This record gives sequence, structure tokens and C-alpha cells, in this order.
Amino acid sequence: MLEINNLKCRIGDTEILRGLSLTVNAGEVHAIMGPNGSGKSTLALVIAGHEDYVVTGGDVTYNGKNLLDLDPEERAREGIFLGFQYPVEIPGVSNASLLKAAVNAKRKHQGLGEVDAFEFLKLAREKMAALNMDPKFLNRGVNEGFSGGEKKRNEILQMAMLEPSLAILDETDSGLDIDALKVVAKGINALRAPDRAIVLVTHYQRLLDYVEPDFVHVLSEGRIVRSGDKTLALELEDKGYDWVREAASA
Amino acid sequence: MKRPSLSMAGLRDAVRSMPDDSLTAIREAALANLDEHGLPTVRDEDWKYTDLSPAIDISNRWFAAGATSTSTDSLAASIEALTSSIDANWLVIANGIIDTSHYEETAGVDIGRFSDNAAPFVLDRPLADLNAALLHDGLRIRIHAATDKPIGILVVDETCEAAVVTQVSIEIEIAPGCDAQIIEYHSSTGNNDHYSNSVVALQISKAATANYVRIQNRRIGHVQTGRISITMDTDSKLAMASFDLGGGLIRNDVDIDLSHPGADANFNGLYLAGDGQHIDNHTRVDHRVGPATSSQEYRGILNGRSRCVWNGKAIVHAGADGSDAKQANHNLLLSDKAEIDAKPELEIYADEVKCSHGTTIGQLDDAALFYLRSRGLDRQQATHILTRAFAADLVSRTPIPQALETITALVDARLAELIQDGMS
Repeated sequence: MLEINNLKCRIGDTEILRGLSLTVNAGEVHAIMGPNGSGKSTLALVIAGHEDYVVTGGDVTYNGKNLLDLDPEERAREGIFLGFQYPVEIPGVSNASLLKAAVNAKRKHQGLGEVDAFEFLKLAREKMAALNMDPKFLNRGVNEGFSGGEKKRNEILQMAMLEPSLAILDETDSGLDIDALKVVAKGINALRAPDRAIVLVTHYQRLLDYVEPDFVHVLSEGRIVRSGDKTLALELEDKGYDWVREAASA
Repeated sequence: MKRPSLSMAGLRDAVRSMPDDSLTAIREAALANLDEHGLPTVRDEDWKYTDLSPAIDISNRWFAAGATSTSTDSLAASIEALTSSIDANWLVIANGIIDTSHYEETAGVDIGRFSDNAAPFVLDRPLADLNAALLHDGLRIRIHAATDKPIGILVVDETCEAAVVTQVSIEIEIAPGCDAQIIEYHSSTGNNDHYSNSVVALQISKAATANYVRIQNRRIGHVQTGRISITMDTDSKLAMASFDLGGGLIRNDVDIDLSHPGADANFNGLYLAGDGQHIDNHTRVDHRVGPATSSQEYRGILNGRSRCVWNGKAIVHAGADGSDAKQANHNLLLSDKAEIDAKPELEIYADEVKCSHGTTIGQLDDAALFYLRSRGLDRQQATHILTRAFAADLVSRTPIPQALETITALVDARLAELIQDGMS
């Protein structure tokens, strides 16, 4: 589904990704771990198409298409979803109107008509109930005045409504207490499917207790330095990131 | 480039070609005033950012062509569409001529014309002189009881083969204790140049309330100058919202006189400007006694090569203790060719006062734009949603519920156009 080959990129004069390669197949859950500044969030933003990052080398293929040729909105309509580490507050734009516009943008791309208003609300309320979200959040401004946990749940809600093929969740676990973490994990697990892939970007192993990954990769200085199964995450938790860095440079 | 000056000979001929009626003496007096003082130029502090040359040029061409008024026959369809867009009781001024055929007689409202009782009115400003000199007739509205429907005043103009100038003058009095709803809606069509000049005097009596909506949606390129002078009696209230969506050169003056205690003036405005538009909002509040409050918020969205001006003046005169004056002006610039001159002016000569002002000029938030695009909305849609949100706050303060739906739709449509133009 996603094929990243020797990807290099920079922001301003700073080189962040330095030859990163990764293959993600349908049905898989990958966890990308690594210390602060290793390039985890950059990887997520580059896949989503953030224009501040300049790709200087390598290629990214998504379902056979050159992903780097596509605008962010085209990537979204093709089924890529980024759950933001810091979701943006947009006062004056209701959550409902954003969800509806997003769902309709994707439907239009698929050659479908606009979503029925009644069906849309019904579906949104169901998804919100599953995430323990008050339906009142639909009428509030996007993330406006939301707590950290509410913002992350709102990202999961958007993901649930958009049903992406490839979901990249950037530090979705940060700032969550244990109850909120379980709710968010439940939302992610609900999306696991044979035709869908999920990439979890996380600093800690904690989330992986609830969303079990098929593969774990460790990122250091813009490259994947080690890959393994879920036991790698436990090993990391135990030994710390220095262990990987030393192993990589050895 | 040399700026044109108003042809006084042309103006005199135009004034003297009008029918001899009860307003003739007033027209002659206004002509004499104008002859003495002339129109304001960019050398006048209040007109520093707005050059009236296009209005003068259109006037001179209209004088030269015989200063004739245009037939209103072909405006019937426009009038029908505009008056049915908001559920109000409509008085129409079409090509400068008062038309009461759309209005339904209502208990509690008296409608008259200046010519019924041609009491000389105050002529203290050049554009008011120009207005009086060329005015066919003015509209007098006295509201002494609340009405089911708002009173609408539709000012609609059309140009055909040649440039046209029209004048509009309205006096509105709201009787003591009365709650009134008034909509002033300006619109124009036609491919040739047009200049409209309006003068409105609004008198809000003791403990009365004026809910006032002003919509300016002229054809892009048409010129309008308009002044509304508002006097407020003891414990009276004003809730006003202005929307400038169209036009070319637009200059609005709002003057509010607070000479009685307990008055509360709240007035807000939204202006949307694209390529070639110049929209100037000058407001002035005179706090002459306290306690009284005034608060205003104007917001602008500018795209393309456009220029807007917001100049908010609040004067708290000596002895007006207990005055509370708030001003805010926020602007969103979508293009690096757009220009805003934002100028708050507070002059305070009293001791016990609360005054505040705040002005911001910014661009769309890149983070918000990317967030929306990452959800599948293209740049144009995302820009539309973000600008709509910026405008929505002001739209929601429309004090007349019957007008809200149409204003929302007009703002939305104009935003869509502005953004489209900016993208191409």
C-alpha cells in the first residue's frame, strides 16, 4: 500500500529525514518509535503533504501512485488520514460542518453524491458514543477550547467518519490519561481491517499495550535503524533509546 | 494626474433643469454653499485615503449629457427580486425617485416627503449640499409603534448608455419608547458608471430602540458616498449592522451624537473587498454627556488589489463623565496587493471614562489551512470556510432576524467570488 524508498527531506536548512525506507501493506499495523527529534512527526507530515517540508531525495508510492505529486487534499481523498499531534483550533467552524465537508469531499472524489444529512448525523452520533464524546461537540468550533484528551478523541472521530485506507496517528497517546487512552485505543482497533493499514507514531510503548502492532520500527536521526515485532517495543522500554543508537552505530 | 473638479456650471444647469417646486429654494441654497466651499479633497484630513475623483468625473459627464434621470421600467424585475429576498415592508427609491407602490400602509408608521413640508434642513457638509442641490424629493419616516415587519428602504439604481448620478435623502424619527426595525439596502445594475450619494438622518427618541441593518451590494465599480447621522435621546438604544459587499469606490460615514444620558450605541460593520474595490468606513461618536456607551466592531476581508479604510473616532467631551467607548477593527488580508488603513482615534477631555480600542491585521492561519486540506478540502474550500468563520461573528450580530438568512447568503456568495478571483 505504502512504499517509502530512501526518503530524504529538509525543513529550511535542516535535514531531517536522511534516507528512510519503509513498506506498509494492507491489514498491517506499524509502530514508529524513536527519541525526540528523530523525525517521527516529520515523516507523518511529509506523508500528509505538508508544504513546509521539502523532499530532496527518494520516492513514496501509495497504491501505485507517486504520492509526492499529490496535494494534501488529494492524498486525503485517496484515503490517507493524519491524526495530528497538535490538532488545530478553528473557532467559528463547527465540528459538524468540517466533518460533513470532509466526508463530502471524499465522496465527490469517489463519484458519489453528497451524504444525506440525517444519515450523517446518525452516523456521527454513533461514532461519538463509541468514543464517549458528548454529541454537543458537533456544534462546537473545531477543537475550540477542547482539552488535550478531547482534541485527540476528536481526531479519532474524524478518522472513524472518513474511514481511511491508511491512517497515520502522530503521538495520539500523548496527553491522555489511562481511561482516555483506552477509549482512543478502542477507536483505533475498531478501524483495523484487512484492507486498511495503520501507522502509529509514538514516543512511548504504553499505547502498544492496547493497540498491538505487527511491526515496530525505531527511528533515529532520520533513518529506521531497527525493525522487529512487538517485542522490540518492550525491549526499548526496558533498555532506552541509547541502546538502539549504539547498536546502530556499532 | 490632475484631479478633476466638480463643474459648477454643469451643476447649476442640472439644478435649474429640475422642476420648480417647494424644494427649489433649498436646492439654490445648497448650490450656493457648494459654490463657496467645494467638495472635499485628499488634502482634508477626513478624506486623506479616499479620492472623490471618480464621483466628480461621473457627475461632470452626467451634467454634460443633460443630467437626465433614467426610466425605472427595466428595474421592475430587480425590485421584485430584492424586495422578496427579505420579508419587510418596502419603500423603494429607484433611480433617485421615491416609489411607495410596494409599501403597505401600516398603523404606527407615517410616511411623508420633504416636499410636503419643505422645512430647510441642516446643510453643513459638502456632500449633503450636493445631495440637497440635486434631490428630487426626500423620504420622511416616523415610526411611533412597533411593526410586525421591518421597514425596508430599497435604493436601487440602473445605468444604461451613459453615466448616471442619483441622490437619496431620508429622515427617520423613532418616537419615544418605540422599538423599530429598519433595513437600508443599496443595489445597482448596468454596465455604465454610476454615482449614488445618500444622506440619512436618524433620530432615536427617549427610551426608543433602533435596530438598523445596512446592506450595500452595488455592482462592482459603482461609486457610493453615504452618511448616516444619528442623534440619540435619553436611555435610547441603537443596534446597527452594516455590510459592504459590492461597489467600486465606497465611502460610508456614521456620525453618532450622544447628548443625553443613558444612550447605548452598538454598531458593527463587515466589508468584503476584491480587485479594484475601495471601501472606506469613517465613524465618529461624540460623547457629550455621561453616562452613555458606544461600542463598534468592524471587520474586513480583502483580496486582490483592493484597499479599505477604517477610521473610528470617539470624542469624549469635557464633562461627559461615565462615558464608555469601545472600538475594534479586525482585518484579514488574503492578498499581498490588498491594503488596509486602520486608524482608531480617541480624544478624551473628561476624567471618569472607560475607552478601549484594538486593531488587528492578519492573514489566514497556515496551520488551519493545512489541517482542513489534510481532511480533503481543497485550498479554495478551506479558504472559504475560514473566511466565512471570520465573517460569521459579525453576521450573527444582525439585529433584525428577518434579514439574517439573506445577509448570510449574500456574504457567502461574495466570499466565494472573492476567493475564486484570487485563485485564478
